[in-house]
Amino acid sequence: MRSKRFAMAATGWPGFAKSLKGVILDLCGVLYDSGEGDGVAIPGSIEAVKKLKASDLQLRFCTNETQATREKFVAKLQRLGFDISVSEVFPPAPAAIAVVKQRGLRPHLLVHDGLLQEFDGVDQTNPNCVIIGDAAEHFSYQNLNEAFRVLIGLENPVLFSLGQGRYYKETDGLKLDVGAYMKALEYACDLKAEVIGKPSLTFFQSVLNDMGLKPHETLMIGDDLVNDVGGAQYCGMKGVQVRTGKYRPSDEKHPTVTADGTVDNLAQAVDMILKQRGF
Amino acid sequence: MAGRRALKAVLIDLSGTLHVEDTAVPGAQDALHCLRQASVSVKFVTNTTKESKRNLLERLQRLNFDLQEKEIFTSLSAARSLLEQKQHRPLLLVEDSALEDFTGIDTSHPNAVVVGLAPDHFNYQTLNRAFRMILDGAPLIAIHKARYYKRKDGLALGPGPFVTGLEYAAECKATVVGKPEKTFFTQVNILAFGANNSPASETFSNFLFDFFSIQALSELGCSPSEAVMIGDVSMFKVSISVQFVFADYFQLVTSMQISI
Repeated sequence: MRSKRFAMAATGWPGFAKSLKGVILDLCGVLYDSGEGDGVAIPGSIEAVKKLKASDLQLRFCTNETQATREKFVAKLQRLGFDISVSEVFPPAPAAIAVVKQRGLRPHLLVHDGLLQEFDGVDQTNPNCVIIGDAAEHFSYQNLNEAFRVLIGLENPVLFSLGQGRYYKETDGLKLDVGAYMKALEYACDLKAEVIGKPSLTFFQSVLNDMGLKPHETLMIGDDLVNDVGGAQYCGMKGVQVRTGKYRPSDEKHPTVTADGTVDNLAQAVDMILKQRGF
Repeated sequence: MAGRRALKAVLIDLSGTLHVEDTAVPGAQDALHCLRQASVSVKFVTNTTKESKRNLLERLQRLNFDLQEKEIFTSLSAARSLLEQKQHRPLLLVEDSALEDFTGIDTSHPNAVVVGLAPDHFNYQTLNRAFRMILDGAPLIAIHKARYYKRKDGLALGPGPFVTGLEYAAECKATVVGKPEKTFFTQVNILAFGANNSPASETFSNFLFDFFSIQALSELGCSPSEAVMIGDVSMFKVSISVQFVFADYFQLVTSMQISI
């Protein structure tokens, strides 16, 4: 009887931390809040990442960041004080490039200027698909119209969306994310976009493959209940939500996704994990 | 002609029924005159979102139609009607030429978002503002949800995609107030013309109107069961059975004359 209760506790949070072999962290809203300049590190996050790296857990970063190349935003995070390197970070653009190359597609890009460099080796002449990322101010009516016209003019239109987030938090408030614009183009062209990035199963799988881990051995920590936590759970991982970034109280009463755990911030999550593991 | 209900109001579609572009439909002026004699209230309905009522009036009067500005009911009128009913203060994302139809509505400290065809307003900053308002509880009101429209330089995104994006981001549903592309009715109540004749059956039934039509009728003080809508066959959803189909508008109206 007693051992049965003990076993049940171990599947809940934070008990299951004992059996983890790896952790995947979201970046924006977990490590830092974006905004003016480099943005701002979330209190306790720098220390939390250090502690994770010092532990026996494997660590990767999975992000839908598409406003800058991987090199650029990792450099920004390092400037903020984070111990993080390019090879540990998984954003959508490299995955999207692999997909279009594999399928012989030439993309029209509706992405932030800061991401264009990532596509330098990609043939963009005579486009036969559209890739949409978090273009922020570049989501002008004119740019959207151009992307729309490419799609509506194709016999077999293909739209790749780097993520499908509804919105994210910057230092000066909540802002529409790529998902809103993906839905706009889906409606305009009467098509369904292919999502590359969280919460796509293949995307999470590529991170797990890199870690050499199974889903049930891995925990995802994020601020986006549906795309971080829900996506991870769909994959077989555990998902914990932080109350920083784009978190809203209504997330804790969500109709379809229930986080395995909800914590105030990354620092608290890491302390609870390490305590379970005897540190 | 048993089981008839009194006909109090008629909603008449403008484009395709009274006029086609800048030409009046033959017989339409006379038919309208007949309707006037029958002392039935009339509202002219249209889904335009760019032209103000004044512009439409001038155009129709040039074609010798006898009508007044207050008899014209556009998708913008429907939006205004909703705003007045709920006492909303709107953030108006509509074309400048449409603003005229909202004069008198308080737009300070807006607590509702109204989206029409307004490319100038579909920029990142303005949409973010609208999004935050909706997250804070402001209702999202769409004049209509057209996917795109034709411009001189090609196809261009309509308001539909932006309304859809806001609905997704804010997890809400917009209230679409404008005249729908296809007007939906349950059972029959349509007097349609343009297709081949079929025998008239003569019973008016109850019908369910969309928001737009109900608003138009409420301005006339009558309920859907006391009204009919006259329009081109193509505007009605095919799933309902059309009981009356007339060869032309004039025949239709004179037939109504007999039964009133």
